[in-house]
Amino acid sequence: MNDWMRKLLESKRAARRQLQALSFSEKVRILEKLRDRSLVIARAPLRTGQHHKI
Amino acid sequence: MKETLKVINQMQAEEVIGQYAIGGAVGATFYLEPSATLDIDIFVALEDPQGSSVVTLGPVYEHLRSRGYKAEREHVVIEGWPVQFLPASGALEREGIVQAVETEVEGVRTRVMTAEHLVAIALRTGRAKDFARILQFVESGVLDPTKLDSVLKRYGLLERWEQFEVKFLRGDR
Repeated sequence: MNDWMRKLLESKRAARRQLQALSFSEKVRILEKLRDRSLVIARAPLRTGQHHKI
Repeated sequence: MKETLKVINQMQAEEVIGQYAIGGAVGATFYLEPSATLDIDIFVALEDPQGSSVVTLGPVYEHLRSRGYKAEREHVVIEGWPVQFLPASGALEREGIVQAVETEVEGVRTRVMTAEHLVAIALRTGRAKDFARILQFVESGVLDPTKLDSVLKRYGLLERWEQFEVKFLRGDR
């Protein structure tokens, strides 16, 4: 593993630790945003195939 | 989700359900970084109807329907969140509910299964996403190895855990 890759992985781990340390209420707020985004993506024309019908 | 949990707590207060504990991805989020999920898994202790060995979610759905909440496939949408009620039919789930951790979401009290019970249930369920979640738990360092070993032993999951280790963890150690 090269140095660049090592730094990248370490930075990912640090970000995960930071998120992990949040309170449950803060994490739930993030969950809600992630869920809203997932629902928007799921309804998008590219996902539903509606763009072919236009 | 705060409003959803308020409704579930009210159901418990009205004895529609017994004790409950959050499991699945939302439960895992208590210990790990948040990861996208569309629903909430609620493990519930249900009283056996008199003389029956079959535990049914009928009264739970009926109670929620009477309050205007709609069922969508295996979920009931409560205050915007699809909730899947999972009757604690096995000893592992029942223990998971009893030993759950008390916490709060924006001032609303709730209970979440321990990390070790979440891992044991995920291991038994055995879908790809369950294994991915177990890996997250292992990497995060939140698991208590003694507790996990004890849960896995008690519920006959040690062999499955060894298979999981061979498949996913051996290369990392």
